[in-house]
Amino acid sequence: MRSVPAFLVSMITALPHWAVRLPSSSSFSSSSSTPIARCLRRALFLGLGWLAFYGPTHLATAAPEPTPQEEPVSAQQKGSVIRVNSTNQSYDFFRPWNKQAPGGRRGLGVLIDGNKVLVTAELVTNSDYVELERPDGGAKMSAAVQVIDYEANLALLTPADPKFLQGMVSLEVDPKARTGDKLSVLQLESNGTPVSTQALVTSVEVGKYALEDSGYLMLRLSCPLQFRENSFTLPITKENKLAAFLMRYDSRSQAVDAISGPVIEHFMKEAQHEPYQGFPRAGMAISPTRDPQLRRYLKLQDSDGGVYVNETERGGPAEKAGIRPGDVLVAIGDKQVDPDGNYVHPFYGKLSITHLTTTEAYSGESLAVTVIRDGERKRLNMELFRQSPEDYVVDPYSTGQQPHYYILGGLVLQELSRPFLREWGTNWVHAAPQRLVYADRFQSELFRDKRKIVFVSQVLATQDTNGYEQLSYPVLTRLNGKEIKNLDDVAEAVKQPVDGFHKLEFDQDPREIYLDAKQVEDDAPQLQKMYALPALSHL
Amino acid sequence: MPNANPPLQRQASGTVSPLMPIVRCFVAVLLLIATDAFAQTAVDIRRGLVRISTTSQEPDYKAPWNPGATSGGLGAGFAVDGDRILTNAHVVSNARFISIDRENDPQRYQAIVQFIGHDCDLAVLRVLDRSFFKNTHPLGFGGIPAIESPVSVYGYPIGGERLSVTRGIVSRIDFQTYSHSAVDQHLAVQIDAAINPGNSGGPVMQNGKVVGVAFQGYSGDVAQNVGYMIPTPVIQRFLQDISSGNYDGYVDLSISYTKLLNPAASRALGISDPNEGVLVSSVSAGGSCAGQLQKGDVLLSIDDHPISSDGFVQLDGERVDMPEIVERKFKGDKVRLGILRNKQKETVDIDLKGAWPYLLQANRYDTPPRFVLFAGLVFQPLSKNFMDAYQVDDLRLRYYYTSFVSDEIYKEHPEVIVLSNILPDPINAYLSNLRFQIVDSINDQKVRTLRDVANAFAQKPDFYVIRFIGSSRPAVLDRSAVEEARNRILANYNVHTEQYLEGGITP
Repeated sequence: MRSVPAFLVSMITALPHWAVRLPSSSSFSSSSSTPIARCLRRALFLGLGWLAFYGPTHLATAAPEPTPQEEPVSAQQKGSVIRVNSTNQSYDFFRPWNKQAPGGRRGLGVLIDGNKVLVTAELVTNSDYVELERPDGGAKMSAAVQVIDYEANLALLTPADPKFLQGMVSLEVDPKARTGDKLSVLQLESNGTPVSTQALVTSVEVGKYALEDSGYLMLRLSCPLQFRENSFTLPITKENKLAAFLMRYDSRSQAVDAISGPVIEHFMKEAQHEPYQGFPRAGMAISPTRDPQLRRYLKLQDSDGGVYVNETERGGPAEKAGIRPGDVLVAIGDKQVDPDGNYVHPFYGKLSITHLTTTEAYSGESLAVTVIRDGERKRLNMELFRQSPEDYVVDPYSTGQQPHYYILGGLVLQELSRPFLREWGTNWVHAAPQRLVYADRFQSELFRDKRKIVFVSQVLATQDTNGYEQLSYPVLTRLNGKEIKNLDDVAEAVKQPVDGFHKLEFDQDPREIYLDAKQVEDDAPQLQKMYALPALSHL
Repeated sequence: MPNANPPLQRQASGTVSPLMPIVRCFVAVLLLIATDAFAQTAVDIRRGLVRISTTSQEPDYKAPWNPGATSGGLGAGFAVDGDRILTNAHVVSNARFISIDRENDPQRYQAIVQFIGHDCDLAVLRVLDRSFFKNTHPLGFGGIPAIESPVSVYGYPIGGERLSVTRGIVSRIDFQTYSHSAVDQHLAVQIDAAINPGNSGGPVMQNGKVVGVAFQGYSGDVAQNVGYMIPTPVIQRFLQDISSGNYDGYVDLSISYTKLLNPAASRALGISDPNEGVLVSSVSAGGSCAGQLQKGDVLLSIDDHPISSDGFVQLDGERVDMPEIVERKFKGDKVRLGILRNKQKETVDIDLKGAWPYLLQANRYDTPPRFVLFAGLVFQPLSKNFMDAYQVDDLRLRYYYTSFVSDEIYKEHPEVIVLSNILPDPINAYLSNLRFQIVDSINDQKVRTLRDVANAFAQKPDFYVIRFIGSSRPAVLDRSAVEEARNRILANYNVHTEQYLEGGITP
């Protein structure tokens, strides 16, 4: 239904002719891409790189001469790397009753903790089927994803038959790699021979992992890698121990971003717990306090250091600990926080406090936190935990579950999630409906209660939706007079039409529309058949 | 609803290029072999048509203390009764000097803008030398021409220096966005005669009468032969409005409504005839209908014209959009609405006035940019001119701009004050990441207008604490440091005025 404004600007408000493309992110790689997109890009790169190196005769069995940067592989390293093939199928967030076409990814995993295989989460996101393939002989075995952490980008696989990995060597984790260290990046030739390339650690600092909001200790290495097949994820060792895991590689700058040893160690420890608790987050936004005028106003001494707390996440550890916006965080435990938000790590030196609160600390632990409020020091107790994506108003990522939806008379209602917005591609911040992008970005500020954002994602045209075909992602605020905070509320409210009609109220024009309740019910089977929908709802 | 039309071009020409003699001859020949009727019209036109050269000064929103760059433009206009010249507003907006000339007269005459309507892209000029009108032939107005009837467009478009004529037919009569303000929609008549830069303000004639003023069109790579003229009802309304001595502008119901195309909606609302009525979706606070209409009311009639469920009324034998009724009204006029509220019939009388919040998204002219400069920080109110100049990418700022009217942001923030620019100086060295944040309060006083900002900075506390919307930290300025830095910043950046507070869209 078109909303006709009487000389109002509603029609013009959607004209984004002043919007410009966001300059490409200065971070290492296009971190706004989905794991799938990045995987495909890398797969494409790898495919091309590999072809360039080997030519079309990929069945050749003779291994090429090792290049000068490549070095001999120890017996230890030889037996610890295994091929992992994953078939993945993500849900289509535009048509949440469908899955996308299946795609395959191939990478390398490393044996760890006896008989488990460590890979990155990106390799096995949305996997339908995971298979391990031994480099010696090519024997295959299906595997289950035992634990997957999307934020830290790690996953643990167990083979269906525990005896499958006999004869291979499990690596220990060495969390102490630092700038200047020379590490080894492991790959497998096509005939299964392991090959190792030397890499130099250029920096160790907190950096962005797979998701926008997740940052953990990251190793940057300089490494002239020549890709073999299956090189989507690669183990990096230091003297026969697992020191890091390759996440991204830029062949132009020959720079590797790798998951660090401490993160792998934290992951492996947490993997033993049921349920998996992952990496906690303090849940606060901070800014530096270098400005001397700000420091004078906040009554801070030079020796206080400290960062300014802008905001605390709803229901997060910082909020629960009593930390308030306006506080200056000066110490965590016995570690001083400097005006840039760093502390001094005994081994790594200056690091962001994020490492302290997400990786060194574990869910369930408490940290003593010192803040300065109105010129006075206060000690607070912060119990750390991780909020799962479902706890957010807008889920930041998908855990592979089918998205919820409810179809009413042809109107498809969904709960807003970032994966939905990411369906608009790498430029989703500008391309996706801006009201929804705004609600996602500022959800902590706009919504202080626990809820989801229910909206019309599309209209399947039927007799019942006559006149409503032009609805443009409006948010459903009330149905039949009842406030809507999630799709369960929708299912409940549908049971009670008013005078035989469903009244839907939205946050934008058209603010009110009506459906004939009985007709919607009678037409449901026809709607399902016409659009070949397996189900009219999934809650 | 998103407007899918690509941006329209205005038709004032910016440059005049030298002509080849052969082209001049060609035009002259064409006129000589014209038919009698045509030659007659052409002769009269030449005594009513003028070419307008405007030197204007465009404001600089990024350095709002600067006077702005000068530029020149060419358009057309014509004499109407009362010793006046009618033309488009966009031909003479931001004008500093207007010079007009006409066929067969070597002299140039200076003109000034007497009335200008930016909401309908029309302007009336006075010529300083009144004797100019002794030899002019004012043109008369006709009605709305019929679809498919022929029209002729007169003006001074690119391609030559002398009067040009193009012909076409009337293609469509519709509500269109007038690109001059970019937010106002009025009746516009689409014709397929060539309308090019330089035609703006020129008359479109049929049977010796003006049936429209050529004003905008699409460029050739977007659409072919699509030009627009402002029809006489809009022109007549403008002339009537200014007869009081002021241009009051359009009045507005300031509501949004949805068509009732779904029979279930009609039944749910208790409307007996499913072909009748539209549903009020939102009522703008502070607009004409505030306090009298509410969301959920059904509009059944306007001034006793029944409203059909697709939003049309019958007017003078034509089916027109319901807003057309209000289009023809003036400030202070009333309109009577027949409504259905909670299934009961009622009548509501509305005193009509103009809407102001939507002006945030309108192009503004003939007004310098408003700003306050303090400690090297530039504060400006959000506006379309602002967004166009800065090409802001900030998500929050774009949301505030886009949803200013629809989400009633103007209630809390009649003006959205933005820290738009920072002139670097030691005093603001750490504030650069606060650029494009929206000011919420200064020293705990809420900031709702630019004047609030100026008043806050006129006080003398030890610190100025500027808080922004969202989760940024506050900007803190030490008063003694601000005073010490002031002259240094003004000298460094060649700034002669520290603030401009006049004008603005808030009532």
